[in-house]
Amino acid sequence: MKMEANLKQSNWTRRDAVLVFAIILGLTSVVMTSHWIDARRPPVDPALEEERLYVNGQSAKRLSFGFNGLLADWYWMRSLQYVGRKIISLRSDVPLDDLGSLNLKLLAPLLDTSTALDPQFIEPYEYAAVVLPSIDVNEAIRITKKGIDANPLAWRLYHQLGYIYWQQRDFKNAGEIYGRGAEIPGAPAWMEAMKARMAVEGGSRGTAREIYLRMYEQAGDDQVKDMARRRLLQLDSLDQRDLIRNELSAYSNKTGHCPTSWREIEVLLRASRFQVDASGAPLDPSGTPYRLVKNGCDTDLDPKSEVPYK
Amino acid sequence: MSRKRTVKTVAATRLENPESPTRAAAWRRIAAIARNAFREAVRDRVLYNLVLFVLLLIVGAIFLGELSGGQERKVIVDLGLSAMLLFGVFISIFVGVGLVYKEIERRTVYAIFSKPIGRGEFLLGKYLGLCLTLFVNVVVMGAGVSLALVYVRRGWDPLALRIWPAILLIYVELMILTGVALLFSSFSSPALSALLTFFLFLIGHFSADLKNLATSMGSTGARWLFGALYYLLPNLANYSYITPAAHGQTPDATNVLAALLYAVIYISMILASATLIFSRRNFK
Repeated sequence: MKMEANLKQSNWTRRDAVLVFAIILGLTSVVMTSHWIDARRPPVDPALEEERLYVNGQSAKRLSFGFNGLLADWYWMRSLQYVGRKIISLRSDVPLDDLGSLNLKLLAPLLDTSTALDPQFIEPYEYAAVVLPSIDVNEAIRITKKGIDANPLAWRLYHQLGYIYWQQRDFKNAGEIYGRGAEIPGAPAWMEAMKARMAVEGGSRGTAREIYLRMYEQAGDDQVKDMARRRLLQLDSLDQRDLIRNELSAYSNKTGHCPTSWREIEVLLRASRFQVDASGAPLDPSGTPYRLVKNGCDTDLDPKSEVPYK
Repeated sequence: MSRKRTVKTVAATRLENPESPTRAAAWRRIAAIARNAFREAVRDRVLYNLVLFVLLLIVGAIFLGELSGGQERKVIVDLGLSAMLLFGVFISIFVGVGLVYKEIERRTVYAIFSKPIGRGEFLLGKYLGLCLTLFVNVVVMGAGVSLALVYVRRGWDPLALRIWPAILLIYVELMILTGVALLFSSFSSPALSALLTFFLFLIGHFSADLKNLATSMGSTGARWLFGALYYLLPNLANYSYITPAAHGQTPDATNVLAALLYAVIYISMILASATLIFSRRNFK
């Protein structure tokens, strides 16, 4: 009786209360039913997940009714999610430029569609130049060339195309592309230097360091930047490992055996300006100690290190 | 002599242009109808869509950075301007088709036309009223996108200014679409008018394909048909500048002026057609 009086006072009737209760009950039931259905949903067929895109770039552009920029962003984000999901499912750390084992066959069509919808969107071309060569090098070259055709003044794309050719050890084409990029107004002077470098020492670590350094400086995409940073760490680590091997070899020549622990050559390593940890082990560029392998006659990266193995 | 000439000139002008004093009154009547159409739109809570738009932008500004790989500025412009166009299209269509129909349905049209108001004035006033609503809508949304860009950049972003020519073009596109909606609603039911206007919006973005079809067709008849459709239907692709705007590009001034001229001509033509049809309509 009292409750009824209260309800009337606040302009709420018993019927309103019942309706609110029904709405809350309904919402709870919807959430529970959705959970139940999701839990019993059969796993998605991987073949269906990797099904080719129904609409190609040009058709998508026609059907976008002026919303092509937004659609290009959606395809771009879909590309990133696609690669991200595959990397997460692998449960191990792989560099962005070595994703060949992930079966990313939808990546090229996704990036192609994104760039067809918005030909001036530079980031998908850069992403294609970095990620696609390990999956489908011809597609990587085609998409990057498409980017150059659509953006003839974007010298960064010449750098990316030169990078693809350099990776394939096609130093002649790489040098030619760097040379063409260097002619673009506003292109940095190092593009011309890179052309000369490709002709003389295309396969050297110095050239690789220069390429990744420039990529790190110029990349607009954070993932590409991170990949370049890790490749630079790897190059530093390769130099360090050469030095450590020299020290190990000098030690074994002097003593007739390889060291059983880092402590035995700690002084030599410190003299070569290596940073060492408490056990005397030298640290790689990411700060992780190197391991002694082959009974102390060689050194290698720790599997936990951030430095890429390949 | 001089005084005589002056009196004669004024009298002659009045004789040659007997409507000149009434023209000002006509514009006052149009302005009154436009004001009322704007008030009606505000009363109908049309501007509430701005709340949804602001929410969309806030969510976009916060979460898109993570999803887009550092491309949040481009995505905010694409998302903001596309939403502006889409919301504007829905307002143009759904409010535009009801502008005339509601007056007929409520029989207020009899009260209006019992006063010295021409049917053309009525249509023009309604049209300008909805254009004013869209103008407020577009300006607030544009300011929202600019603020979102400043927020994302944590400081001044030149893109916040560079998007405004594209916003102007979106507004002009919406003005054309409103005219089309008004034209259809002058002789058809709201549902059919909405459908036809929406189709015209879609076809308007296919105009390049219509021209290609016209040139590639084998038969002369088909060539003529698609050629005629290309020129007859509004070429809304002229106003699609969202994607370049997201890259910080501004349209060429000559192109903008040409697009504005096209819009003025097209809208005048549509409103003239609407007036022609509406003035022959029997409300019994």
